[in-house]
Amino acid sequence: MKHDVQEWQVIKRLLSYATRYGKSLSIAFVFLLIATGAKLAGPFLIKVFIDEFVTPGVYPTNWVIALFAVYMVLHVSAIVFDYLQSISFQKIALKIVQNIRMDIFRHVMGMRLAYFDRTPAGVLVSRITNDTEAVKELYVGVMSTFVQSAVQLIGTYIFLYILEPPLATMGLVLLPLFWLIIWAYRRFSTKYFAQVRDLLSQLNAQLNESINGMGIIQQFRQEERLIRQFEETNEAHQEARYRNLKLDSMLLRPIIELLLAFSIIGLLGYYGVLSMSEQVQVGVVYAFISYIERIFRPVLDIMQRLSEFQQAVVSADRVFKILDTDEPAPGKQMPGEAEITEGEVRFENVTFSYDGEVDVLKQISFVAKPGETVALVGHTGSGKSSIINLLTRFYPYGSGRITIDGQPLEQFEEQELRQRVGLVLQDPFLFTGTIEENLKLFNPNIDSERAREAAEFVQAHTFIEKLDAGYGHVVGERGATFSSGERQLLAFARTVARNPKVLILDEATSSIDTETEERVQTALDRMRRGRTTIAIAHRLSTIQDADLILVLHRGEIVERGNHQQLLKQNGLYKKMYELQSGQRLMS
Amino acid sequence: MNNLHIKTKGAFHIRVFKQLSWFLRLEWKTYALGIVLLIFVAGLELIPPRIIGRIVDEINRGSLSSNTLWMLLGGLAAVGIGNYVARFFWRYFIFGASIRLGRMLRSQLYRHFTDLDQRFYKKSRVGDLMAHATNDVQAVSMTAGAGILTLVDSVTLGTFVIITMITTISWKLTLVALLPLPIMVALTTRYGKMLHSRFGVAQAAFSELNDKVQESVSGVRVLKSTGEVDRDVDSFENLSSEVMAKNVRVAKIDALYDPTIFGIVGLSYILSVGYGAVLIEQGELTIGQIVSFTAYLALLTWPMLAFGWLFNIVERGRASYDRIERMLAVKPEIQDDRMAATTLAHSEVEVDVRHFAYDETVVLRDVHFRIERGKTIGIVGRTGAGKTTIVRLLTREYDVKDGKIKIGGINIRQVKKSLLMDKIAVVPQDHFLFSDSIANNIAFGRPDASMEEIIEAAKVAEVHEDIIRLPEGYATLVGERGVTLSGGQKQRISIARALMTEADVLILDDALSAVDAKTEESIIEHFRVGNPEQARVIVAHRLSAVEHADEILVIEDGKIVQRGRHDALLQETGWYRETYDRQQLEAIVEGGGHDEA
Repeated sequence: MKHDVQEWQVIKRLLSYATRYGKSLSIAFVFLLIATGAKLAGPFLIKVFIDEFVTPGVYPTNWVIALFAVYMVLHVSAIVFDYLQSISFQKIALKIVQNIRMDIFRHVMGMRLAYFDRTPAGVLVSRITNDTEAVKELYVGVMSTFVQSAVQLIGTYIFLYILEPPLATMGLVLLPLFWLIIWAYRRFSTKYFAQVRDLLSQLNAQLNESINGMGIIQQFRQEERLIRQFEETNEAHQEARYRNLKLDSMLLRPIIELLLAFSIIGLLGYYGVLSMSEQVQVGVVYAFISYIERIFRPVLDIMQRLSEFQQAVVSADRVFKILDTDEPAPGKQMPGEAEITEGEVRFENVTFSYDGEVDVLKQISFVAKPGETVALVGHTGSGKSSIINLLTRFYPYGSGRITIDGQPLEQFEEQELRQRVGLVLQDPFLFTGTIEENLKLFNPNIDSERAREAAEFVQAHTFIEKLDAGYGHVVGERGATFSSGERQLLAFARTVARNPKVLILDEATSSIDTETEERVQTALDRMRRGRTTIAIAHRLSTIQDADLILVLHRGEIVERGNHQQLLKQNGLYKKMYELQSGQRLMS
Repeated sequence: MNNLHIKTKGAFHIRVFKQLSWFLRLEWKTYALGIVLLIFVAGLELIPPRIIGRIVDEINRGSLSSNTLWMLLGGLAAVGIGNYVARFFWRYFIFGASIRLGRMLRSQLYRHFTDLDQRFYKKSRVGDLMAHATNDVQAVSMTAGAGILTLVDSVTLGTFVIITMITTISWKLTLVALLPLPIMVALTTRYGKMLHSRFGVAQAAFSELNDKVQESVSGVRVLKSTGEVDRDVDSFENLSSEVMAKNVRVAKIDALYDPTIFGIVGLSYILSVGYGAVLIEQGELTIGQIVSFTAYLALLTWPMLAFGWLFNIVERGRASYDRIERMLAVKPEIQDDRMAATTLAHSEVEVDVRHFAYDETVVLRDVHFRIERGKTIGIVGRTGAGKTTIVRLLTREYDVKDGKIKIGGINIRQVKKSLLMDKIAVVPQDHFLFSDSIANNIAFGRPDASMEEIIEAAKVAEVHEDIIRLPEGYATLVGERGVTLSGGQKQRISIARALMTEADVLILDDALSAVDAKTEESIIEHFRVGNPEQARVIVAHRLSAVEHADEILVIEDGKIVQRGRHDALLQETGWYRETYDRQQLEAIVEGGGHDEA
């Protein structure tokens, strides 16, 4: 019962998308009405032909030609309008799916990063593409079938009433019978179909897992046991499919055909008995048989689409669940217009926790004056990355205050913040496309010249020029063909092209080949000039000239000062420095 | 020329039935029954139009007596019920067989997968293997069900109907009425081709869209940090609109089918009624016969359409069956010798590798050592030095050509692989857990183990405390759909799993990398005390893991450059001591700079 309610909610919500296309839908509907009317008129005209001309055996030429002409006109318009209505409904359906797809994509991309940390990329991709595709099937196939079938059914009954009202009324008996069959079919098929689907996904999950864990299975010599387990599911799946097959064989096509046969028997019986007392026009009998057959087709169409329908509702439900998950990125939360002019960054007693339980940053305070470089060092998990995540406003912080040029972080427009605060990521993600497109990254304000200048500035120009097609070189396999140093340079160029006031650097942990290493260093130095820089450094050698070095341990700043001051303190920094410079500890 | 091409192609398609002949023979009774029933139904379907025509004629003449009427209607009812029963059973037989074929193929594939070795799995993509067992099996099973049905049904029903039309009504009328039908076949075939190519284009656009989403989601950090999310959404919109436009192109063809069929069938009707009227005038036919005729015509539509559909199914089935056959033909690269030993006197291992290479570059050279009962061998060295290769040779993932490895005095190439696996247990680097309870994961190699044994193993692996803190303890589900465990917890569970088997030789292939040094030490201590008979090979990055080993081998560029006990190696200058010092310092830095020693 609860399930039904939920299903109905999903359908209602799906239909609400259609309301935006009221006008196109009405036009499509008119096409459908014309097509159905023209189609149904055919047997009626043949009835007229049989009763008026064939039975009496008289063929007044003009009338015959007129009748033929009308038939042909109707026939052709039935063809044309049938095509038009079908294509119109499909177009609308595709547009609706496009809308849903845009909604979910925009919604997902607007979520905060914590959401992406939690949700596997594969799941999101599958929701945005595969599930919306299933919804497409629902709209294109199922809903248009339902509408068309309903119209055809009603239209057919109208013609039956024109022909022979008492018989048409008797024909109404079929409606509850149809309802009963659909109800019974749906009742059992929902269950069986779900069983088949579940067992199939279980089967695939087992298979997938076995393939992934085959090494373990073979090593522990459990092949036979797992084969048995797989066989069990495989057999259960087969049994479920048998049940489904039996149901389909009993209640789907064969029963519809049986019902059709009995309807024809009833019809012939009616006219047969009638013919014993009065003259019956055989044309009517012909037309009736044609119409009766046409009543049954839409019912069959609907029944054959039921399982697809259920599948699509499940998919749509998943899509809507994501649309209802509201975890927007922190964004601008304070009134007023803030601007970054100098680039002074200030943290005041900032505390932060990802899960609300364990603080990963405790009471962090520091100032980076305009043009200065502040370096963050510390072991993995010490909190360096969290500081960056807060400054880039990827995560909302707990207590304390972060300001840029004296204005709270929450006061900046997204555009202002992203434009003035440039982040260079550890692993610069390269998108499909050319080098130039990757430097511009969709931004129309960056022209080719600026992209090139940026590349020259960070000395990426030399290696780009050597690629075939240079800046037009298409990046393959997410940039796996480039060395990590080259990828770093590209990331630098991407940031420099945006000319930010504040630079955030997340240095690569992976080793860079010595040849590029030098260029990376020079590029870094040049980029930092005139910009406030917050840098995560893994190699201490790169930040010896920093104005301030913060040593982090378990979310706290344990040491601070410049390189010389810290070495003198003889603490954690010194040990790290020794470790990296390869000096051996006195034992 | 063109004709010839189609002909050979057709023969090529039908080959799939020959490929499936083993199954058709196996299920010949079911198929024979199904086909007989199918033909029976086709025959029965010819009766109602005749009865209808007869009644119409009698009504028209006003000569219908109630006896005749009831008799004819009774006939119709009998045919209807007979049809229903026969239809039910042929479906059950033919589709039932196709379901069974699906199950059998799936089993065959699964069984085959368990025979293939790790070398095969390193070369293959999981997605491709999955596709064989899902899409390909489905396509083949469809060929054996709907394919056979369509073939038999369209051929018999089509032939029956045409013969009946010609013999019982009029060959002239049949000829005239059937004139438009070839046009329908030609058109729908043409649509089929267009649809196929347009559908391919739409699919390609869809998979491009898929890649785009994948990229946006993976690169969300970059997009957000550069403030380009909105523009990315715009570019998604472009791509998505393109997908829509390409789908509209598909719809434009798809929407042609129904009107075309309706148009042409309608043309046939008007021709039969019009020309029929002429024949009635000439006294050759009655109105009832025309009504019968149109009913026959209705029966013909399906076989005409089905033929195009049949080619589609069969083509897919053939391609899929070829892929499945190719898959089943893959043989594991390392197979048991026919004379392979099935018992061993003892489990001491002697490694004598003179030279080993995967392809051109030499990976191992002159590696000699012994693994004795109760002793621990440590293998250390930097990444890529050849440590894991040694493990692969011990488990016969690859065979040594130059040199040999013996267990119990017998070359492992002459030992049954299953026996070797029993004797040597490996805990690999990647700790794969199954979607099952923790208890079942630990007892994976010995499903009959008692709960006490499981807990004992978990205690030795230092994971018992972690497990009982979980909401459902040992019954907690792990793996893809279960709770998320830390890397260290997974590693310790997989160690417990390996402990359950009580192999004579236990190999830890960098299996403790995600466990902290203290826990690692106590796990190794447990090993030594718990099973003094067992020999152990510990491959590690962290030297503390091998500190207590009886012999430590330092591998560099595939060679043993240093060997000996911990204390002795510390006295030598070399990789071992350098690494030891560095790791000591690292430990201090990790601890926040406090020298605990």
